[in-house]
Parts: sequence; C-alpha cells; structure tokens
Amino acid sequence: MISAADIRTRFRERGFVVDDAYATGLEIMLALQKPLLLEGPAGVGKTESAKVLAEALQARLIRLQCYEGLDSMSALYEWNYPRQMLHARLSESSGSSLEQREAEIFSDAYLLKRPLLEALTQDQAPVLLIDEVDRADEAFEAYLLEVLAEWQVTIPELGTIRARHRPHVVLTSNRTRELSDALRRRCLYLWLPYPSLAQEIEILRARVPGVSEQLADRIAHLMQVLRGLPLQKAPGVAESLDWAMALMSLHREHLDARTLEQTLGCILKVHEDRAVVDEHRAALEPYLSDAPAALEAGGYGLATDFGIGTATPRP
Amino acid sequence: MYPFGDLPGNLTAFCAALRREHGFGIGPGEIADATRVLRVIDLADQQHVRHAWRAILSNSRDTAARFDAAFDAFFFPGPAGTPQAQQPPLSGGKEQPGTAGDTSGRRPPDGDPSADVDPEIELEGARSAPAVLAEDSGTDGEPAGRWARSNYSPLAVEGQEPILLRPVPTPWRNAARLLLRRLQLGLSRRWEPARRGRRFDLRRTWRASLQTGGEAVTARWLRRAHRSPNLVLLIDGSRSMSAAQQAGLDLATAVATVTRRVEVFAFSTSLTVLTHHVRRAGTGRRMRIAISRESWGGGTSIGASLRSFLRRHGERHVGAETLIVIVSDGLDVGEPQILRDAMRELYRRAAGVVWINPLLDTPGYEPTSRGMAAARPFITTFISVHDSAGLARLARLVRVRR
Repeated sequence: MISAADIRTRFRERGFVVDDAYATGLEIMLALQKPLLLEGPAGVGKTESAKVLAEALQARLIRLQCYEGLDSMSALYEWNYPRQMLHARLSESSGSSLEQREAEIFSDAYLLKRPLLEALTQDQAPVLLIDEVDRADEAFEAYLLEVLAEWQVTIPELGTIRARHRPHVVLTSNRTRELSDALRRRCLYLWLPYPSLAQEIEILRARVPGVSEQLADRIAHLMQVLRGLPLQKAPGVAESLDWAMALMSLHREHLDARTLEQTLGCILKVHEDRAVVDEHRAALEPYLSDAPAALEAGGYGLATDFGIGTATPRP
Repeated sequence: MYPFGDLPGNLTAFCAALRREHGFGIGPGEIADATRVLRVIDLADQQHVRHAWRAILSNSRDTAARFDAAFDAFFFPGPAGTPQAQQPPLSGGKEQPGTAGDTSGRRPPDGDPSADVDPEIELEGARSAPAVLAEDSGTDGEPAGRWARSNYSPLAVEGQEPILLRPVPTPWRNAARLLLRRLQLGLSRRWEPARRGRRFDLRRTWRASLQTGGEAVTARWLRRAHRSPNLVLLIDGSRSMSAAQQAGLDLATAVATVTRRVEVFAFSTSLTVLTHHVRRAGTGRRMRIAISRESWGGGTSIGASLRSFLRRHGERHVGAETLIVIVSDGLDVGEPQILRDAMRELYRRAAGVVWINPLLDTPGYEPTSRGMAAARPFITTFISVHDSAGLARLARLVRVRR
C-alpha cells in the first residue's frame, strides 16, 4: 500500500508537485481500486499527472484519447476481418475440420486489441488514462460504465474476458459537456483548481531547471493576476511553464513591460484577450520590474553575465 | 461532540446531512467506500480524512466546493479552530438548525489552500436558489384568482412580480418541436447503421452473412449521425421587458417539454439559473418562483450578464451544437463595448445566435439603441416572438452559421 506522503515524494522526484487533496485522492484510488475522475480547467496537469502516476508505480500507461464519434470498435476490440477472410479462403482446402477452422479464425491472432481490452489483459495492473472523456458522446459514456463497473468485456466469439488485474483508471474531463451521474458515481472525484501562489512557484522551480527564485516568483504572481482577469482562455500551469522556458531561452532574468509584450504569445492564446490585458495593465504593473531599458537595448544586454559575475561599468 | 458514539453511526448521519442539506447524491455504495477507506487512511489526521471523504462523497465541482463547509459544520460546529473537546455537543443525531447555513462561507480551520472554496461557486450557490412560492400540478386554465394569495405571500420579494412558469398548450409544443427539427446543424462524426449510407459496414455485413451460409448477400451500411442541437435561453428580466417576459418563459417551457438539451438563464444585472424549474414546468407543473432582484425586475446590464454567462457556464454550455437564444429588448445601460465583445464570442463559439426582441413588432421601431447596435452584427436570426405562431415563424427562419 502506498501512502499519500509516499505518492507526494514519488511525484516530487519526477518534478510534479501535488497537494494533499490530490495525493490523498490518488492514495485512496489505489486502495479502493476505483476509477478517479479529474476535472479542472485546461492546462492544470490532469493528463500529465496520469503519466507521472504510471512512472511512479512503474506500471504501463495505456491511453484512450476520447473524441467525438469514438465507438466501441476503436476503444475496445475489433476483429481483423480482412485477415480472417483471407485465412478462411486459404484454409478451405486444408482438410481441417470446420470447428478447427472456426477456432483458428476467432483466435487471439485475429483480435485487434484496442486500449480498453489491452488494459484488461495486462499481467501487471497498468494505468489506464481515459483522456477528455467529455469529448466522447453519451452513447460511448454509457458503454464505458459497463467496463468500469464489471472490469470485464464480453466478446461473443471468445467469451467473457475478465481483468486479470484491475487497471488504475484515471478519467479526465474539461467540462465541455456535463458527464452523466451514473459515470460520476462510479468514480472518485477530484477538482483540480489552478495552483496557489506558493504551489506555482514550487512547480516552476521543479520543472524549469535554472529558473531564479525571483523570476519564478514574478511569473507566479503575474499568473495569479492574469487568472483573475475576465479572459476567454485563462492561462494554465502549462502556459506558465512555457513562459518560464521562453524567458530562460531569451536570457531574461527580469520581467519588464517590454519583455511581457514580446512574450505575451506564450500565455494568451486568444486575440481579444490581449485587449483585456492592456485594459488591466495597471494590475500587472506592481509585478513588472522597471529594469533600465538601456540594458536591454544591446541584444542580451547585461542581463546575462556570461559566467564572469556581474560586470559593473566604471563611472 | 459527535451525534453518535460510534464511527459508522456518525458517518451515516453525516451522509444523511449531506444528502438532505447540500444536495449530494450519496448511496450505500459511497457510504461503504467511505467506511472502507478508513482502513487505509490515518483517522487521527483530520485533513487526511477530509480529503479522502471529499473524493468519495462528492461527484461534481459544486458538491466538492460545498463539502468542506459541510464537513466543518457537522464535525466542528464551533468557531473555526476550536478543538473538538471544547465544542458544544450536538443533540441526538440531528444537526443544530442554522449550522449549515451560517458556516457556508467559512474557511477550513488551518487554511489549507487546496480546500479553498471557489468564490464563483459560493456566489452561485447563494444566489441561484430561486424560492418556489407556490406550486401545483394543476393544468392550464386555472382561475387566476387562485394565485392571488401567493402574490401577497410574505415570501414574495417586495414590489417584485414573481416568475410564473406554467405548462404550455399544444401549439407551443408543436412549434418547439418544429424548431428542433428545422435546426440543421450538419452531421456529427459518429457513424450509425443505416439502410443506405456512405460507408460499407464490414462488421455487420460479416455478421449478417451468417444467416446466408457465409455468403455476404446483403451489404450493410453506415452513415453520419445528425447532430442534435443544444439550446441555451437567456431571458432578460429587467423592468423594461415586463410586458414581454411571459412569452419568453413560455417559449423556454415549450422547448423544455420537447427536449432535455436546454438550459435557461434569467438575467437583469446578474445571472440566475432557471433550468431546473423550467424543466419541471415542462413536465406539467405550474409554479411561481421568486428570484433575486438582480436577475428579475431590476435594471439591465446585458453585456455584463452575457459575459458572466460565458465565464461561468460557457465552457460547458456553449459549443458548435449550441443555439443561443437571447430574449431582450436590447436597452442596455452598460458599456456597449462589453456587449459587443460578449456577442462576438458567443457568435464565434455557438452555432447561431437568435435575438428575440419584442419591440421589433412596434411600428416605427428601429434597432438603433446603443446596445442593439453593438449586438446587431453578431445576430444570426433577429425576430420577435409573442405567441406560438411566432415560435413557428422562428422555426422557419432560424439560421445557423454552419
């Protein structure tokens, strides 16, 4: 049994910061062997956390990406019809009995396992990530219920396949559509909010190697302000990581108005949101340093010291 | 202390309180899980128990956000931070009256950031609970005098007309059905079996061939399913609209009678969800409900209301299959820029934006008010609806972008 504290350390080792509620959620998901439904705004690390969970448990990650029109054939299994037909034609004159030929045609060799069946037939319990389940339509959701409740799949030609080891199931949803109550009740539920200020600083320091304390602090503060604005697409953690990476690669150690202007594309993904940010510029000001523009003028300026310590020009 | 001496008793009482007072959907399965989990988690660690039970007992963002307050109210009814030994005892299994209500906004004692209650949800919870003043399953044609009493009920907000939701007669329903049928949203990406279609269905043909001795005699086909539309109705409840509101409410009820894929909101200066009540009216109930003045019978702030709709409900309720229907006279007192931005976003994200303006029938009316002028470019169908014939006309004229 893995404790919540244990999960936190294992996630931490892999550069993923989780809070208590989340670690406890994962702990009881493993203990109760129930699926975990993660909801939250885009870019808070729902998918990423399932990947890290698989790594932490040293289990295989099987991913089912949901989309509109996803059907049971692409989620569960399908017979390889062309090969079956070919085999049927070729074995017509082989002299083997009908039963034999039938058993050959409907054997594992002609079964194309899709993610759900794949997850049920593993030797070691895998992590099954059912990503963006809200994108699949209601019919598929109902279908999923059966698999999640019984952990078995019935294939008419082969019989019932029962899970050898219950997979650790993580479902994620961006709430583009309301999920059914039936599905919700079969799952443990976790709402993943945007991280708090302290958490975000911790995440930045864990994920972006070499980011200075001051820069991480500034980025996190600005993100908190930006998420409070009436934006169409509020920036998530993914955006703040991207932004930190961008600033690092541009060798900007300070965040000033000009840098913000140049790198706004990392955080804002909708054109109209730029206007909103311009409108609320005053709210951002306190977190922008007013480094003299002259330093920035010559390309890299003095923001980097090229490894020789800060050079101070003599007066 | 706890209402019962033993843990299972307390847990069951807690779940009953969650169900009764906070609208949680908890069954025996959840209670069993909550008991089972105590074997793995540390019972002495209050936060640990709280997190675990939240994951098990809540099943949506709303319930998860309300859980902490309910947990505190039940197990720690005193002021925040009081150790349990010093807390007043609860009497026999029932929670003290008012406990749940006045602690709803309280933070958990140790200020755990992850347990932060989303301010949005709290507001929503506080505001969007319209009080049902009178309800009856009676049918249409009830004498109006019967409802006079509820008009003077002490529950009614002073000087404010309550909202009347009533079952609608057949012509309304037919018109609503026509509207849904006429909404051509194109084809979904899902394939469905059909007698004739564009894609050969090898699997079903193969199965069908078993009946004919393995020879595929009849081919089976698949075709793209039609998209079914979602409707979102936003009804302007401001005073200037008071003469035309009933038609908007009847329209909403008519649509709710024929489909479940409808969401209804009322707004004046802020937004209130009416979906639940309208659906009930759609099943044949008649009721009067009172909602906050900010959503019914107040001033008009269309732009801000639409924007708050987009921020709070947009991700869930606005998509390529959504038809937005706004019932408003467009007399907006807010900044036209806000309305323009909100309308542009709606137009871009939804399949179509219908604006029902009751003034449109008035001779000599030109939609040139500031609000209307800002919204005009993003309206796909501009019309007035006063009765079921008007809705039928909308069904014939409705246009979607794709």
